[in-house]
Amino acid sequence: MKHYFSLIIILLIVSVFSLYADSKIKVVTTLPDLKSITEEIGGDKVDVFAIATGYQNPHFVDPKPSYILKLAKADLFVTVGLDLETGWVPPLLNSARNAKIQKGSEGYIDASTNVPLLQVPSSVNRAEGDIHIYGNPHFWIDPVRGKQIAENIFQGLVKASPDNQNYFQTNLKTFNDRIDTKTKEWITRMAPYKGSKIIAYHNEWPYFEERFGLKIVDFLEPKPGIPPSPNQLVKVIGEIKRENIKVIISSPYFTTESADLVARQTGAKVVVLATSVGAEEHIKTFFDLFDYNVNKLVEAFK
Amino acid sequence: MNRLKTVITITWFSACLVYSQMDSTAVDSLLLKRIELQTQQTQQQVSPPPQARSSASTNPNMSAIGDFQGSYRNMADRNFDLFFNEAEFSFQSFVDPYARADFFLSVARDASSGKFEADIEEAYLTTIDLPANLQLKAGKFRMSLGRINPVHPHALPFIDLPNAFVNFFGEDGVKDEGLSLSWLVPNPFDFYQELTLEVTNGPLDNPSFTRSPISKYLYFGHLKNFWDLTENATLELGLSGMVGANDSSFSTTMGAVDLTYKWKPLQYNTYQSFVWQSEAYFSKAKYAEDAVVNSWGIYSFITYQLEKRWFLTGRFDYSNFPFSSALVERAYSAALGWYATEFQKIELEGKTTTSNFQDQYYQAMLRWIFVIGSHGAHAY
Repeated sequence: MKHYFSLIIILLIVSVFSLYADSKIKVVTTLPDLKSITEEIGGDKVDVFAIATGYQNPHFVDPKPSYILKLAKADLFVTVGLDLETGWVPPLLNSARNAKIQKGSEGYIDASTNVPLLQVPSSVNRAEGDIHIYGNPHFWIDPVRGKQIAENIFQGLVKASPDNQNYFQTNLKTFNDRIDTKTKEWITRMAPYKGSKIIAYHNEWPYFEERFGLKIVDFLEPKPGIPPSPNQLVKVIGEIKRENIKVIISSPYFTTESADLVARQTGAKVVVLATSVGAEEHIKTFFDLFDYNVNKLVEAFK
Repeated sequence: MNRLKTVITITWFSACLVYSQMDSTAVDSLLLKRIELQTQQTQQQVSPPPQARSSASTNPNMSAIGDFQGSYRNMADRNFDLFFNEAEFSFQSFVDPYARADFFLSVARDASSGKFEADIEEAYLTTIDLPANLQLKAGKFRMSLGRINPVHPHALPFIDLPNAFVNFFGEDGVKDEGLSLSWLVPNPFDFYQELTLEVTNGPLDNPSFTRSPISKYLYFGHLKNFWDLTENATLELGLSGMVGANDSSFSTTMGAVDLTYKWKPLQYNTYQSFVWQSEAYFSKAKYAEDAVVNSWGIYSFITYQLEKRWFLTGRFDYSNFPFSSALVERAYSAALGWYATEFQKIELEGKTTTSNFQDQYYQAMLRWIFVIGSHGAHAY
């Protein structure tokens, strides 16, 4: 009997603690970049969990049941959208048993809302590889578009906790101001290399390319999502030699075998850039992401 | 008469002149409009309006899956065969803010007659917001038994189903009409635990169970436990129990255990992975007051991803039959899969089967799976 009594006391204490913990807005984001921005805007009012890690291919994340537990308890769900996560978000949301965060509900935040998109296809055909029908979904790799992401997250946070609107508003302004300042700094650092031609592994850099005035000439993948083929590599080697290209950019989740091969044949440098916060241990925030990438590129172009 | 002609001609010319003038004004204004429009378009191109982010259609996600196969078996009347095994059509969407629906229609080849028969593979409604972490499913569905039964065969890493599965549940597995209620069990350790309870009519063609003419139904329960061992490794342990009418007037009780270990490095998750999955089925079939058969079967397989597109699977099968514990089958198989994309794969499998009731035989199988449309993602 005594044991039962102690068990009840423990359960009560646990429940009180969980009530206390509940006072924060629980947010689940698909990518760590969205987590970072949510933390910038939500400050100490949010408790954020990101499903994917920064060094993981965001197209291919396993929908592990443990994520369902997080989603079942979430107040907000933030997704990149544009079908980037189409292979793994639907099975998770379907099992989450949480109407608050389903598509169309107030707790479902599509980070791509009102973001000006690039590469919106006029027709879609899978013979062209993995084409995203709504446009290229890698828009978070642009600091300025990060401001629209922050705006979308701000709107969601206000709906979840209207009392904190002023607090979120102040944080949003701080974030936007900092983005403006830092973007100027990044653009200035990249200015000497404006117009530089580069090669990329996968078509995930159009927003970064546009922001920093780079020119991606070709990809190691013959078509998006199709692994590099010998024919494509021969073609790229030709292009690098012809156009005197110095840099090949890749991402942490692609093996560098083919990029290295091309580099050996041409003397170009392979630079593995970060596609997300957390790609390297010290890339802890959305700002670190661009600091890292700009540093890497400046170093490579020198 | 001439006057009339002159009047008509003058009127004609005047009309033409007025018309041409009218026309030229119209042409001018049209040109002006075009220029304005083009200027607007150019301006619009500079700052594009927000694009539509979802197709403006309430059509469900649709897909068609083709399953073409080739087979060889020694000691058979017809050794080689090439055939189209199945076409599966799926329609999946939200019904309204409270539920979603999934339809899978199958046109499959009957192995003995070679003719195609259409059937509802699955058709069910799933709630998305019941209180207390509950989820209800109603319709015809593949029951939540272990790791093979809920999966459509085209998604498995081998072409034939494990002997134990086929002997106890048939080629089609246990799919039936009824209700399924699942609950995310809250637990102090915060690991994923899901309890599923299902009641169905009783399957029509199944070696273990049947649809009883009297009020006897199939009752099923499954407890799924899932742990993240590390960032890269997971473990799943499932326990199932079921009881239902068999083809005598008595019942069969079954228990099942499944254990799955998966390893996949997060960073290179498209290049490397490893799965070890095993499942055992235990059956207690009562066929008469004094005739109870206790039998069992097990399979265990390992799938290793050799490279981005290459998967190698080895499987061991051991099985009795629901009606006999004296009959024993053992089989070893190996399958090699080449996954072109998420929408196309080719697999080749070799298998040898020994038993205590017929001679050892060898099989070779080839399967080509192709998908068009928006085929939904598979569960983990």
